[in-house]
Amino acid sequence: MIKTNNVSKVVETSEGRLVILEGITLEINQGESVAIVGASGSGKTTLLSLLAGLDSPSDGKIVLGGDQDITVMSEAQRAKLRGEMVGFVFQTFQLLSSLSALENVMLPGELRGDPQAEHNAKKLLDRVGLGHRLQHYPRQLSGGEQQRVAIARAFASNPKILFADEPTGNLDAKTGAKIIDLLFELNADFGTTLVLVTHDARLAARCERSILIDAGHLVSEAVDASAAIA
Amino acid sequence: MKLALKLLVRDWRGGELTLLLAALIIAVGTVTTITLFVDRLQQALLTESASFIAADRVISASRPIEPALLARADEYGLQRSATVSFLSMVFSDERAQLAAVKAVDDGYPLRGKLIVADEPFGTGRPAQKGPQPGAVWMESRLFPSLDTRPGSSVDVGALTLPITDVLLKEPDRGGGFDTVAPRVIMHLSDVDRTEIIQPGSRVTYRYLFSGEEGNLKAWEASVRPDLPEDTRLYGVKEGAEEIGEALSKAERFLLLGGLLGVILAGVAIALAANRYAYRHFDHVAILKTLGATPARIDQIYLVIFIGLGLAATLIGAGLGLLVQAGVAEVLRPLLPVALPAPTMKPVLLGLTTGMVCLLSFALPPLLTLRNADPVRVIRRDLDTASPSSLLAYGFGGLGTFGLMWWYSQDLRLTILLFIGGLVAVAVLGLLALLLVRSGRQVGLQAGSAWRLAVAGLQRRQLESALQILAFGLALMLLLTLFLVRTSLLSEWRNQIPADAPYHFAMNILPEERGEIRTFLDEAKVTVTPEYPMIRGRITELNGVPVAELKRAGGGERGAPRLSSTRNLTATATLPKDNKILSGAWFSPSSLVSEVSVESEFAKSNGLMLGDMLVFEIEGRALAAEVTSVRSVAWDNLQPNFYLIFSPQMLIDFPSTFMTSFFLDPDQKSLLSPLLRAFPTMTVLEVDALIEQIRTIVAQVTLAVEFMLVLILMSGAMVLLASIQASLDERMKQFVILRTLGASNQLVRTSLAMEFAVLGAFAGLLAALGAELTVYGLEREIFDLDYSPTPWLWALGPILGAGLISVIGMLATRRVLDQSPVAVLRDLA
Repeated sequence: MIKTNNVSKVVETSEGRLVILEGITLEINQGESVAIVGASGSGKTTLLSLLAGLDSPSDGKIVLGGDQDITVMSEAQRAKLRGEMVGFVFQTFQLLSSLSALENVMLPGELRGDPQAEHNAKKLLDRVGLGHRLQHYPRQLSGGEQQRVAIARAFASNPKILFADEPTGNLDAKTGAKIIDLLFELNADFGTTLVLVTHDARLAARCERSILIDAGHLVSEAVDASAAIA
Repeated sequence: MKLALKLLVRDWRGGELTLLLAALIIAVGTVTTITLFVDRLQQALLTESASFIAADRVISASRPIEPALLARADEYGLQRSATVSFLSMVFSDERAQLAAVKAVDDGYPLRGKLIVADEPFGTGRPAQKGPQPGAVWMESRLFPSLDTRPGSSVDVGALTLPITDVLLKEPDRGGGFDTVAPRVIMHLSDVDRTEIIQPGSRVTYRYLFSGEEGNLKAWEASVRPDLPEDTRLYGVKEGAEEIGEALSKAERFLLLGGLLGVILAGVAIALAANRYAYRHFDHVAILKTLGATPARIDQIYLVIFIGLGLAATLIGAGLGLLVQAGVAEVLRPLLPVALPAPTMKPVLLGLTTGMVCLLSFALPPLLTLRNADPVRVIRRDLDTASPSSLLAYGFGGLGTFGLMWWYSQDLRLTILLFIGGLVAVAVLGLLALLLVRSGRQVGLQAGSAWRLAVAGLQRRQLESALQILAFGLALMLLLTLFLVRTSLLSEWRNQIPADAPYHFAMNILPEERGEIRTFLDEAKVTVTPEYPMIRGRITELNGVPVAELKRAGGGERGAPRLSSTRNLTATATLPKDNKILSGAWFSPSSLVSEVSVESEFAKSNGLMLGDMLVFEIEGRALAAEVTSVRSVAWDNLQPNFYLIFSPQMLIDFPSTFMTSFFLDPDQKSLLSPLLRAFPTMTVLEVDALIEQIRTIVAQVTLAVEFMLVLILMSGAMVLLASIQASLDERMKQFVILRTLGASNQLVRTSLAMEFAVLGAFAGLLAALGAELTVYGLEREIFDLDYSPTPWLWALGPILGAGLISVIGMLATRRVLDQSPVAVLRDLA
């Protein structure tokens, strides 16, 4: 489902070239759940944004869905691909503050022009336990509730791949655990490939595989996630 | 499209659009109100001033114009009338007097009113039209001169006509001295029977036209090329020089006000749109992660933009219509004339202005949204791109220039203001940045509230500088307008001092000079200096007969031809309100033949310093060298001359004298014995004319004051928009401070201080900018004398600090009262 070949990301700063990622080659299969782990500043979030096509690598190749080389695509083509294949869950939820819960979840469907957008969104919000708070705005929801809306929105486009960036990073342990359960339940239901970046050992342990990034390099494919994070 | 509309509605519900929409509505509303009201007032003003020429347009000719050419006015739905004027002796039983006879048809006057009385110098009443066929009206002063009374008869040429009324005022009498002779007015159909007009007689045919301005313009364009060469087609501005100048200046001021209004509105819109775009950068990044392409983003925000624009312009124009109707209603008792109904043109103008403002100020920031990097959703620190860009500034500049040009129809004024504006922005921007940087020294040594305030400014150096610039510009425009207005009004007030000489005495015989002066002195009447006056014309220029010369052209006021017969004078002192533009005024002891020429007359006839002119006066030739060129304030109601000789030159000629004097209303009765005692003397009364000018100046003043109030409103809107635009950033800082335990008092004080410092800096820049702009405007555009305004330098900073602290604290009050968590959630 995801294949990378020798991917690197270098940025020019006032103090010279800064290598964020170098020589990343990996493969993630369809339906697999993978945790990207590593210390702060190791480059794991950058790797996620490259895999999801939110950013372009300085070098190397990234192929999604078997034949879609996103490194040669324009921003418009990548956006189209994201709309069709990819869902996101973010640490800071990233809901649109001026839209209600229902409208936020309807958004991917509306962007595709899906007439069923509202129906599907209601079903999903029901599924994440927020069927009674459709018209509430993000500021009227707790952190956990906002993240559940974000998860419902991520699945609203029926994505093949779901990228999650520290999905429990802004939540307390108890709420975090519930969110993780929900994420994996939906992931199993939809048969989605899940790639997540996390510091949370319990979350990493729920994944089938962990990838450890250290100072921009892929160190190992750690089977024992807790060991990798420690 | 559907999604975009949904987002628009959702944004509106979420309160994201309130400020932008408000800025737009106020912008369009202000512009529409200003344009509508000014348009109505201008129409009223023109109608009122049109009475100075008794019409909207006049064709003046020395021979009758072809009836077919005149009838063309009917195709344009114009009303027309005709008058014929000539000089003739008028005889009573005992005496004879030279009179300026005017024959009028039943349509006369098309504008203004005739005022008549039953007795000479009596109380007036309006008359709908001129005398009936077979009757004449005479001016008051003719009765003592002819020693006759209303009801008796006079001979005009071969015709004996009864005097049915006393003429007190005719709208197009004017203040010129070409028609110094007293007026007799008769019906046009009687002219032939007087047998006065013979081939070669000096007669002026005036054809009067009135109608809707658009039709008049179209008709003017059609008829002008077909007019015979020696005819003149003119409107009130060229036809009535007493008020033409005041009217032009007022129009220029209103125009300038309208322009500044548009610019202020544009700045408010740009600020609001920038804030909207800034807040939507994250939204766009999210939409992009959800699959929206840049083209889709453009499409969405274009629809939002158009929806917003339509709503704002329609509401704004409607509001403008209502507000100006309200203003007109409130002002009705104060206005000396009835306002004509509003026309659709200003409404359309307002709508278009709104859309152009939107296009040039709001669209560019919205279009930069497409560049929001989707990776922002994960790494906000990676992307700090601001929505402003060169493109945005380019669009804004282009739009501003276009609107300014469109409004003023004056490329010179536009370029002057635009370049001045650019320089001001650059210089003031740099100064603002320097001021912000210099604040550090002060801040470090001050108390904690001060330190916080200065730190706040320092932290956002560029934003603070931009804000100071925006505040400064808004304040500068307001101060500029205020200063120009004050100069204009004081000039108008000074133009007609309370004791202006309302009476001009002419044809004073040299031997009667002493007696007349004694008569007036005994009656305690103040008399101005006397000027010798004689008629004459130029026959040669540098040895070439003027008949062979081509007219140079180029004069603005349409000065008379070189060969025309003029009133000439000679004096040793430069008359009041005359200024030497080139050359030098006669030295007191000058015995050389010198002549000083009025500048427009010189310009349109191609006269230069050193030219030799030969005059024909009383059948004798007199040569003189042009040694100076003067400007003349034609509207100062003093005796004014195109040509003035050096003092000794007219001594050998049999000239008469003229002077002017002021009479209180209760001294009016002196005129009768004066004219009876000196029958050859002519007295011209201009008090009616001055009353007319006063009325018009009062109207213009009102329009100017009203404009200032509207512009103040726009200015306040800009200030509010720019405070709102920086609110998010400020709030974040204060939430952190509050969370760290800073008291509400400290936060409030430091915020107030930050606004005060911003305001004071802005005020300082505004004072500098306004002083320079006013200097340029008064000299280049308004022809006023510039004098520096030192108090501005104190007022600017105080005004800025006060205004911005108050508006800023009001705008932030609600947020300051909320808990830090609520503020943070709102900002999220």
